[in-house]
Amino acid sequence: MEDKLKEIRKEIFLTAYSASIAHIASAFSIVEILYTLYKCNILNYDPKNPNSEGRDYFILSKGHGSLALYQVLADVGFFDKSILKTFSKPGSILGGEPCYPYVPGVETSTGSLGHGLSYATGVAKALKLDGKKSKVYCLLGDGECEEGTVWEATMFAVHERLDNLTIIVDCNKIQKMGSLEDVMGIKSYKEYFQAFGCDVCEVNGHDVEELEKCFKQVNNSLKPRVVLANTVKGKGVSIVENNPRWHWKLPNKRELKVFVNELNISDEEIEECKKLI
Amino acid sequence: MQKAYIKTIYNLMKQDKNVILCLSDSGTDYDEMIARELPSQVINFGISENNKVAASAGLASQGKIPFVYTTNAFLAYRSYEFIRDDICLQNRNVKLVGMGSGLSWSTLGPTHHATEDIAVLKALPNLTILSPASPFELEKSILAAYQIDGPVYIRMGMSNEKEIYEDDYSFIVSKNIKITDGDMGTVFVTGSIINELLDTIEMLNKEGISLRVINVHTLKPLDEGNIIEECKNSKIVFSLEEHNIIGGLGSSIADVIATNSIDTKLIKIGLNDTFATGYGTYSEIKRLNGLDKDSIYKIIKDNL
Repeated sequence: MEDKLKEIRKEIFLTAYSASIAHIASAFSIVEILYTLYKCNILNYDPKNPNSEGRDYFILSKGHGSLALYQVLADVGFFDKSILKTFSKPGSILGGEPCYPYVPGVETSTGSLGHGLSYATGVAKALKLDGKKSKVYCLLGDGECEEGTVWEATMFAVHERLDNLTIIVDCNKIQKMGSLEDVMGIKSYKEYFQAFGCDVCEVNGHDVEELEKCFKQVNNSLKPRVVLANTVKGKGVSIVENNPRWHWKLPNKRELKVFVNELNISDEEIEECKKLI
Repeated sequence: MQKAYIKTIYNLMKQDKNVILCLSDSGTDYDEMIARELPSQVINFGISENNKVAASAGLASQGKIPFVYTTNAFLAYRSYEFIRDDICLQNRNVKLVGMGSGLSWSTLGPTHHATEDIAVLKALPNLTILSPASPFELEKSILAAYQIDGPVYIRMGMSNEKEIYEDDYSFIVSKNIKITDGDMGTVFVTGSIINELLDTIEMLNKEGISLRVINVHTLKPLDEGNIIEECKNSKIVFSLEEHNIIGGLGSSIADVIATNSIDTKLIKIGLNDTFATGYGTYSEIKRLNGLDKDSIYKIIKDNL
């Protein structure tokens, strides 16, 4: 599994590198979360029939983590892996932010922060009205939680007893211009979500077993469940980890060596990417 | 128009359980009555328009037909990006009902006026924009919106607007309706301001002046064919709207005239790039802002 996770990060990087730009650090922090949801029997889905009745819904509210989602969707068969090579290029279905209805497995367009959770509450409410058993999972960034709609949606989800909704927050503690603590004085969102009436489960967001255990717990609370996944922004490449400078950046020649070494990238793979640029 | 709205939406909800009334603390006693009878079809999202708009896209994704109802200004301005990204970009089947078009929240002042909503919303792809002139036309607009599989914005008055149609008539989306005939020019009008205009027309008729009045109840997609025909047959055309003259009906008419190289003169009547001022009854605030029958009379007369 460790190899697989490393391979996903490698593919994320190579895809970004061939497109010349992308949000790699934000994608690196959610790899284990997505791996657990899609590969550990949490989400019910049919990659050959993305709109199948009875499926569970995953909504990536932090749309800039798209590269991690695309890798995992391709890996489980929603679309062919060769499509990843077209990322952010003319004619591609895969943009820097996921866009509905072009990408199989993507339920809604995201990119502007603070939309996904509201959308997810609408889906969860409709499922409840129709007596359907499907579940809704929405992944937010912790920086994104500065958006007011996140709290409007949380309030609504609690009031409407949307226990079919799981709100996952990628707590990497870094936003574009610095740490959440420096930018907005936020140390943790735990008390915020608790104050809104949610049950909060805090986990190591890079520990698949821990994530799996948390997601598999039965929710009897009549409330939406909040999973605060503590992560490292840029996880997997030492120079990227916990460094806000890497929010929207690719490596220079010297930095590239670190990526190559730490993600086991071959010279041929780099050359292959360069051909695509 | 509100009574007509409640009656129509209530009947639709009884007919189709997928029709969901989405409120943001914006309901009336009537909504509460409906909620008692059809509790699973009324959702009050609390005072959070943006969440409501995005959530309605989620409801629509599951086959629901949300009618998102709140004060026009809060819907069009506060929630604009949510209307854009969650509804229009994804072509979700959501009906946005703005209550209080133009100056109809007359005593509450400019924060509650909707006098730039057409300008911003008509630039959104996939959105149909309906602007009914009377209670009867509102009923027809709601039913038409229900039939459309896609986003619709309905600009609705809320000040006991008068009925202008005596008999049943055919309402077709994007088909303008000729209300009066005349030979000295054409006035394109949208919304309930048509009542002031019809009074003006009566004043002009007494002086032997007759104008064609065209009710543009659909602002998007525009009935271009009718506008081209009317403009070609008129030396002068007027547009009248309870809206800024920038970006509204008048600007749409100007687009049609320019892109079809039509030789006519256009006079745009509305708010002259200003917020409305003053407070009072609906009639009083229209008078204060040059949108009453006498002000309209003067502009038309000066330009004929």
